[in-house]
Parts: sequence; C-alpha cells; structure tokens
Amino acid sequence: MSLAVRALPAAAAAARDRRGALRLARRFARNRLALAGVVVFAVVLLAALLAPWIAPYSPTKTDFTSYLQPPGSGRHLLGTDELGRDVFSRIIFGSRASLEAGVIAVGLGMIVGVPLGLVAGFYGGRLEDVLMRFTDAMLCFPPLVLSLAVAAVLGPGLGKAMIAIAVVLMPVFMRLMRAQVLAERGREYVDAARVLGAADRRIIWRHLLPNSVAPIVVQGSLNVAGAIITEATLSFLGLGTQPPTPSWGSMLNAAQQYLTQAPWLSIWPGIAIAVTVFAVNVAGDGIREIWDPRTR
Amino acid sequence: MPSSTDAARLTRRDLLRWGAAASIGAGALTAADLRPVSAAPAAATIRIALESDPPNMDPHRSTAAVDRQVYQNLYDKLVDTDENLRILPMLAASWTISPDGKTYTFKLQQGVKFHDGTPFNAQAVKYNIDRMRDPKFPSARRSELGPVTGAEVVDTYTVRIILERAYSPLMYVLTDRAGMMVSPAAAEKEALNFALHPVGTGPFRFVEKIPQDHITLERNPDYWVKGQPYLGRITYRTIVDDNARVASLKSGDTDMINMPPLPQISSLKKDAAQSGARFHIIEKGPFSYNGIWLNVTKPPFDNKLLRQALNATIDRNAIANVVLQGNADPIYSFFPPGTPAYDPSWKVPPRNLALAKEKLQAAGHASGFEFTLLSVPNQQAQSIAQAIQSMASEAGIQAKIQLIEFGTFLDVLDKLQHEAGILGWSGRPDPDFDIYPFVTKSGIGSFNDSGYDNTKVDELLDAARLLQDMTQRRRAYSEATKILADDMPYVWLYSVKEFKLVSNRVQGFVDQPDGMMRLRAVRLG
Amino acid sequence: MARFLARRLLQMLPVLFFVTLIIFALINLIPGDAARLFLGEEATPDAIAALRHEMGLDQPLYVQYVRWVGRMARGDFGYSFKDHRSVLQTLLEKLPVTAELTAGALVIAWAVAIPAGVLAAWRQRTAVDYGASAAALGGLSIPNFWLGIMLIYLFAVHLRWLPASGFVPVTENLGRNLRALLMPAFNLGIVLAAVVMRQLRSSMLEVLSADFVRTAKAKGLAQIVVLVRHALRNAVIPVITVMGIQLGTLLGGAIITETIFAVPGLGQLAVNSIYGRDYPMLEGVVIASAVAILLVNLLVDVVYSLIDPRIKLAGSRS
Repeated sequence: MSLAVRALPAAAAAARDRRGALRLARRFARNRLALAGVVVFAVVLLAALLAPWIAPYSPTKTDFTSYLQPPGSGRHLLGTDELGRDVFSRIIFGSRASLEAGVIAVGLGMIVGVPLGLVAGFYGGRLEDVLMRFTDAMLCFPPLVLSLAVAAVLGPGLGKAMIAIAVVLMPVFMRLMRAQVLAERGREYVDAARVLGAADRRIIWRHLLPNSVAPIVVQGSLNVAGAIITEATLSFLGLGTQPPTPSWGSMLNAAQQYLTQAPWLSIWPGIAIAVTVFAVNVAGDGIREIWDPRTR
Repeated sequence: MPSSTDAARLTRRDLLRWGAAASIGAGALTAADLRPVSAAPAAATIRIALESDPPNMDPHRSTAAVDRQVYQNLYDKLVDTDENLRILPMLAASWTISPDGKTYTFKLQQGVKFHDGTPFNAQAVKYNIDRMRDPKFPSARRSELGPVTGAEVVDTYTVRIILERAYSPLMYVLTDRAGMMVSPAAAEKEALNFALHPVGTGPFRFVEKIPQDHITLERNPDYWVKGQPYLGRITYRTIVDDNARVASLKSGDTDMINMPPLPQISSLKKDAAQSGARFHIIEKGPFSYNGIWLNVTKPPFDNKLLRQALNATIDRNAIANVVLQGNADPIYSFFPPGTPAYDPSWKVPPRNLALAKEKLQAAGHASGFEFTLLSVPNQQAQSIAQAIQSMASEAGIQAKIQLIEFGTFLDVLDKLQHEAGILGWSGRPDPDFDIYPFVTKSGIGSFNDSGYDNTKVDELLDAARLLQDMTQRRRAYSEATKILADDMPYVWLYSVKEFKLVSNRVQGFVDQPDGMMRLRAVRLG
Repeated sequence: MARFLARRLLQMLPVLFFVTLIIFALINLIPGDAARLFLGEEATPDAIAALRHEMGLDQPLYVQYVRWVGRMARGDFGYSFKDHRSVLQTLLEKLPVTAELTAGALVIAWAVAIPAGVLAAWRQRTAVDYGASAAALGGLSIPNFWLGIMLIYLFAVHLRWLPASGFVPVTENLGRNLRALLMPAFNLGIVLAAVVMRQLRSSMLEVLSADFVRTAKAKGLAQIVVLVRHALRNAVIPVITVMGIQLGTLLGGAIITETIFAVPGLGQLAVNSIYGRDYPMLEGVVIASAVAILLVNLLVDVVYSLIDPRIKLAGSRS
C-alpha cells in the first residue's frame, strides 16, 4: 500500500550549507502544519516511551466481569475489549509497535539499500547491471504482495514484520543512492580528488555519502509513514505483533468481529494510526519542502 | 485436464464479461441500470452464503468440512440421519447386519439414475466402495471405512459390504461422505478431474463452480423422489468476512447463511425478534468441540502433574459465557451435550487455583513454569488463547502465545513439535470418530496431536467399535473419558452452539445436528 | 519507435528472470507442506505422500524450478493445487473483476484529484489550497483496511444504503454490479486521489509560472481555457509517471479492498493462495502482476513521448 515510491526531486544543495541550517529550521517552523505534525509525533513518541507510567491499566490485564464496556463507562476512558482489557491502555502501548516498525524497518531498508546503491553507482559495470536488474525485479512486485510473501516465509511476529517491510523499502533506497552517486560522480570535485590520488574509500566517505544525506533522509521520513501503515496491515492480517501484546493493527483485527456490537473497538485504533501517520506525513512534507523550494 | 467443451464454455463467458466491462468504459450507463432488476428467473433460486470456499467437489477426496454443505444436495447417500440422529433409508431402502457384525446387506432403491443418465445399482455401490479403498486413488475416506474389505454384488439391487471385524460406526459413516455415491461412468472417465465435473444422484445437479466466488446447482428433473426438489436452483456464494456474510443476509442478498459470528448473536436475535424482520435464527445444540492439545512426548507437558495444573487453572464457564458470550457449552469430554455418547452424570469441574498450585508444588515447580501455546490467527482462537494465558498466569504458569498459519500449524502438531496447541474438531454423528483417532496409538502422526498412548484407552475404544448397542458403547466411552480426564492429553474447553440465519422466504427447512443444509424439501415463499 | 519498443522489451528479460527467481525462492521458503495443506485437517500420511509425488514436490528444487520456468515460457501456468483448475483460466476469470475495480478506482481518483489539484494550484496559498493539500495528506494517512471497515459500518450496517459485499458480475446485472463496487472502488481510489492531487498541484504550479502560460494570458484567453488547454496538458505528464509507479500500490490496495469487501478478484486470489499455499496459483498471480507492471511502465514511456515530443525515446529509465 502506502510504501509507494514517491518521486523525489533531488535538491541537496541547500543542505550542504551548514550555516544555512538555522535558516532551514526557521523556514520549517514557519510551516505551521509541519510543526503541528512534529508536535503530534513527539506526543506519540512520549506516549510510547512512557507507556507504563501513562497507561491507567496493564494492557494485558483481563477482567471477565467487565468486558465490552462502551467508552466513558465507569473507569475506562475508551471502554474495554472482549476480554475486559482497557482500550486506552492498549492504544498507548500499541504505539510502541507502530513506531518501532516505522523507524526500524526504514532504518533496516536504508542500511542495506544505501551501501548497495553506492557500490552499484560507484563501480558500475556488470555488478551494477545485476544489482539494478534485481532491484527492477523487486520493484515489479506490488509492495504488499512482497511484504505478505516475506512475512509468510518468516512467520508472524513484529520483528519479522519489520524485516518484511524493510525488504520492500530496500530497493527504493538502493535506486535513490545510485542516482545520487551517478549525479555526484561526474562532478569536478570527485574528479579532482581522483586526480589527487584519493582512495575510493575516501571519496565515498568524504564526498559521496555526505552529499547524499539530505535526499535519503527526506525519502526515509516519508517512508516511515508508509511503514507504519504496512505494519498495521500485516498485523491486521495476523502476521504482525503477536497477542497479547497490543498493536493498533492487531487490535483492529480482533475488533472486526465486534463491529456491530462494539464499534468503538474498531474506531480508536484506526484513529490512532491515521493521526500518527498524518503527523509523520505532514512533518515529512515540511522537511521535503524546505529542501525543495520549487514546491512552495 | 478439463475437457475441451468445458474450456470453450468458460472462454466464451470470459469474453462476455470482458465485453460488458468494456461497455461501461464506453459510457453506456443509464439511470435504468442502477435500479435493481426485479424480474426473477422462472424457477426459484435459493442463495446461500458459505463461510469458506469449498475446495473439492469429489466426496471421496474431500477433506474440508464446508464441502459437505454442497454435497448434501448434489449427492445421495446410502443412508441418512434425521434430526434425532436416527438412521433413515436413502439410496438403501432397507438393510440387515449379520449377528457377527461383519456383513452388511443393503437392498437398494430402484429406478434411481445418476445425473449423467447412467443407472444406480449394486454394481455402482461396489464401484464406489472399491474407489474409496483403491490404494492408487488419493482417497480421504480410507480410515473411515477402516475394517471394510470389499463389496459384493448379490443381484442388481442388492449389495453386501464385507468387514474383517465388527465396526459399529459403519452406518453413521455411510450417512456422510463415504456413503455418497458418485457416477462410476463419470468417475472412470474423469479420474481426478471428477472434482471439476461432479456427477451424483442427488436432488440437484452441478452447473458450475467459480473458485472463491460461487457454485451453482440446478434442479434434477429426474430425481427419484417424486415431485422433489421444489427449488429451481441453488447458488452457494463464498463470503469469508463474517460481517459481510451477515450483512448480505440482512439486506436480502442471500437466503441462508451458516456460522454467523458468535459475538453478533445477541444483537441478531434482537433484530430477528422485531416486527417486520426478514429473517430468523435457527439455534441448535453443539456438535463440534474445542480444546488444547498438550504434547505428552516432550517437556513441559510430559509431566502429568503439569498438565493437571494447567487444567485446574481454567475457568470453562468464563470461556463459554464471557469470551463466547453464552453461545457455547463448557465441556469435559469429547462428547458435547446432546450427542449420543454424552454422559449427563459426568460434570465439568470448576476452576480450582488451589489445586493447580498443589499440583505445581508436587511437580517441583512451585513458582510455575512456562510454555508456548500455538494458535491459528483467527479471531476466536486468539481470544481463547489470551483468556487461557490470563487464567494460567494466576497460578504462575506463563503461556507464550504464538500464532501460526493453519497449514503450518497442522504440520507442527502432527509431527509433535509443539508444546501445546489450540485445535478443535467439527464432530461426527457417530461418537467413534470424535475420540478414536485422537487418543489411540494408531492416530499418532495424524489426529492424535498429543502423542498420547495408553493401552487401556485403546482397548476400551476398540471394544466400543465392536459393540452395536449405544448404551453399552457409552459405558466404554465414559470409562475412557475418566482415564483421559486424569491423564489430560487434551484439555477440553468448550463446544459452540451452532447458528444459521434464514430468510423468512425459506419454508420447510429442518436443521439437523450435523448442521448440513439439506434442501430437497425446501420451498421459497 | 519500433526499435525503442524492441529494446525495451528485450530489457525486460533479465528482470523477468529475477522475478521468477524471487518468486520461486520465496515460495519454497514458505513453511508448510502444500500436500498437507491441500488435504486439510483430515489427511492421512499415505495420502500426503501420494499427493506430494503427484505434485512433483518430491523432486529436487532445481528440477522443480527448471520445469516450472519451462512451462511458464510455453504459457502453461499449471493447475491449482486447491481445485485442479487451470491457473490461466482462473486468472482470466478474475482479471476482469480487478480490472473493473481498478478502473472504478481510477475514475473516482481522477474525478476528485483533477479539480482539487487544479484549484489548489490556481489559488495557491489560500484556504482552498491548504484545505485540499491537508485533505490529500489525510487520504494518504488513513489505512486502507480501516477505511474499508468504517465504510462498511457506516453505509452497510448503519445506514444500509449499500451492500457490504456480494459481488455481482457485470453480465448478470449491471446496476447491482455497480452498487456492489461503489464502496470498494471508493476505498481503493482514495489513496490514489491523494497521490494524483499532490503531484498535479505541484506540476501545475511549475507550468503556471512558465512563459507560454504567461503569453497565453497576455493574449487575453479566458483563464479557464488557459488552465485546461495549456497548463493541464503539460502538468499531466509527471502525473502519468506517478500513475505508472502507483500501479503496484493499486494492485496491493486491491488485495486489502477485495479481502474486506469480498470482491472475487486477483487480490483476494493472491491472499488466498498465500494462506492456502496454492503455489501454482500464487506464482501465476505474481507473474501476471509483475508483467502488468512492466508493461504499464513501458506504456507510460510511450505515452510520455506522444504527449511531449520533446522527450526522446533514447533514455532508459533504470
């Protein structure tokens, strides 16, 4: 689904200017929507980190005397689920799975994809051909089909779901990095470094990588949103987080059968996902805009 | 391989669909198209929604319970059951069983024809029995037929089934898939592809099957019961999503649905009770059962005390009444209340945490122990697993839940690689197949998912197979149940009641304990 | 043109090789014995062994791979493990359903996105622009499966306006077919609408600042005509690229949508074959969608050149 490869105009020049950093931050702050996104994301992050102290109940404590209670009834702000567990507490703890999946899966995709793209772009030749045809092939799969198949291979579990998501993201980073390298490789300073006898490693570390950070970070921040949704989707299909650990997707999976009887069980986790993903998208958009003035 | 005529037919329909799809693109849509068309086809069609897609139309190869819904109307059986589980004549008009229980002689109904026009007779019965026992044929019926060694044609309408030893479940076995008669001519011609072009003697004949979408049957005009069936057509639609299946009945898109989701039963009952409601609910007693297989061949559950400890932590009433909202009965044997082998004097024990702790103490695990509980990812199983986990934890027993997909799950259980796994059984009219393969040595590797092996239990259950009288058999089963309750290889949990939602248009439908939708006497009002 | 096409088609071959390799590897890595699964809860060991042999699962992997690719190359997709029907036939049966659903989603997406994108660009930095942009981001942020559940709850359970599911083929009844597909198509189209709107807005902004639009305005053409004739025509090129890239996302979305609304299309087929370990069917679905994506990307390149002759066909886009 939303692991879409979004078109990314490469405009890294602004980022290279370290003194411009403050100006960028100021520009970002002026984009109120983006700022709101960052604030909301920070709140979700805090909720995840401080879950045991914020949540009024244990997310796994069952209570067979008070099950399927509607929101606001008695002691439960958002009601209880079919086993009498507090929905509000489960939503708070559920943020952990979403954020972990978002950040770690994208990180994994980056760690594998970036070096491969770098190698392909820098050395070229037969190796590049094979690597790029391989990524072409990976990009031929509908992203969700690939995630599902990888998840089916690995079995259910949050960590495995992250790997499944990372597998889909890897070729995206690989292509992006290769394009960056190809663009930079022709520049004079790389040639100059070569002429001066700089080793490949030095050229890669000193020149190519630093200059590619901006577009990679922008791409990564946008992919975090997609990764959160994909984790929820895999959990919804029973391939993500395992019970009784709550995640928003698995809560929705369980809630489905109570749709007519207890619709709130289906509403809260969905809102939690939508709000978090919206915040990440808005913030990611804000980051992209400050580096890519054309769209403003 | 599909026959060439069939391929041509399918291709033509595909072209039609493509053509129609293209015409939308061309903007040929008018307001009139948006109005539902009321002109129904001449013959009444009943529309049924099934909970999963029936994979196989060959009753001798079928291994999915949902297949049997369709078979009831496509095939006749040698004998059938009534709503009290008594055996009734069907294709066999009468029968006698020899005193030693090794020879069953059937007098067959005369004038019966298969849908392909070939006659049904003793030769056809012999062919069917041979087919199910043929080692070259991937039969799924072999173990049910157990001690059957063959069939003999006595005359055109008399056939004998020969057994190597007495086997009391046989008559019930013949009320199900093993008793369904397929056309020898069609089976011979099609071999494995018979499943694609099934031919029986039933009240309806096969029209088409589109996988994961629908199956259509039409009235068999030459049906041997005069005047029946009353319906023109049956369409079975597969609607996997529970909410969608219920919604389709409520909106009048389907006439009958099976297995509405349990959490919705109470609100559905309210809906059905309202004046002007278009449907009613049929509720019947439980037939299937559910529980936890404990692997007795490896730690931790090779220790009987730990099995007993886990069992003592379980509150079966909470599971039946809270998790399943009163739509299930708590059980403590393989025989749900109301089934022939059910023993009313055998009670479900209450939860007993003190006993659990005592057992843990005796096992040298006073502070508890850990185990992995496998479950399939369906929602009900997950709820049960989490309830068990929560109950067990109060005695210090920590269950780690692991969800695995059904295919892998069965594989792991059959190879006894698990510690514990939640798995039920759909139930059979004869008690034998609710217990025998699950706890005897012969079932290890296929149905006996605890690896349990107890000579005494094997003897009792073998004896029950030889006894013809149900009262005597029940006594043997009760004896075996007492041993199993002490050894606890399988933690019985609950047995769900079964529900159907039926449109008020449907008349003359009788629900039977096996839950099968027999439609030959049904009309639409 | 012909040479360009020939070269692009030739370039697809190594990609297809990797596609088959990836599918074959994944499928063989999925745990669970297909024969066991095929026979279900009541299988006996000898039946399983017999079936494994019948399916060729007892052969070494490379033999299975070579046989499989060989059959594929001859257009023989094999027979389903589940029901013994021809995979190709099943694919052809399901394809029109998904095609109709996807077409419906596209219509809804364009109907929403084009006016919204044009307006947002035309009235840049006004409430209209901010509102439309925020709504588009919202559309990207709502999980497809949740939106589907909420739609069912609202329109089928609560208001009872639309059927929750129960797909009706076009050939049977067009009106009911469209009613049944309305919610799924909307569910699938909404993410696409957001993507298209965002892309259209930004490319419109670029075009609107271009010289020839200014010239057109100076010549006094009515603003609307300017927008449609000049700006939109030019702004649509990057949108088409995005649409090509989005096809995979759309097919993925179809999986969720078809599962939730019980639409018997390719998406549902894909999920059921993953869960049911119906290898030949899964292979067929995945190969078909991979080829579809490859061909659509090729088509996008061609359309590109037709709309904008300035783009040369020489460049490969890898």
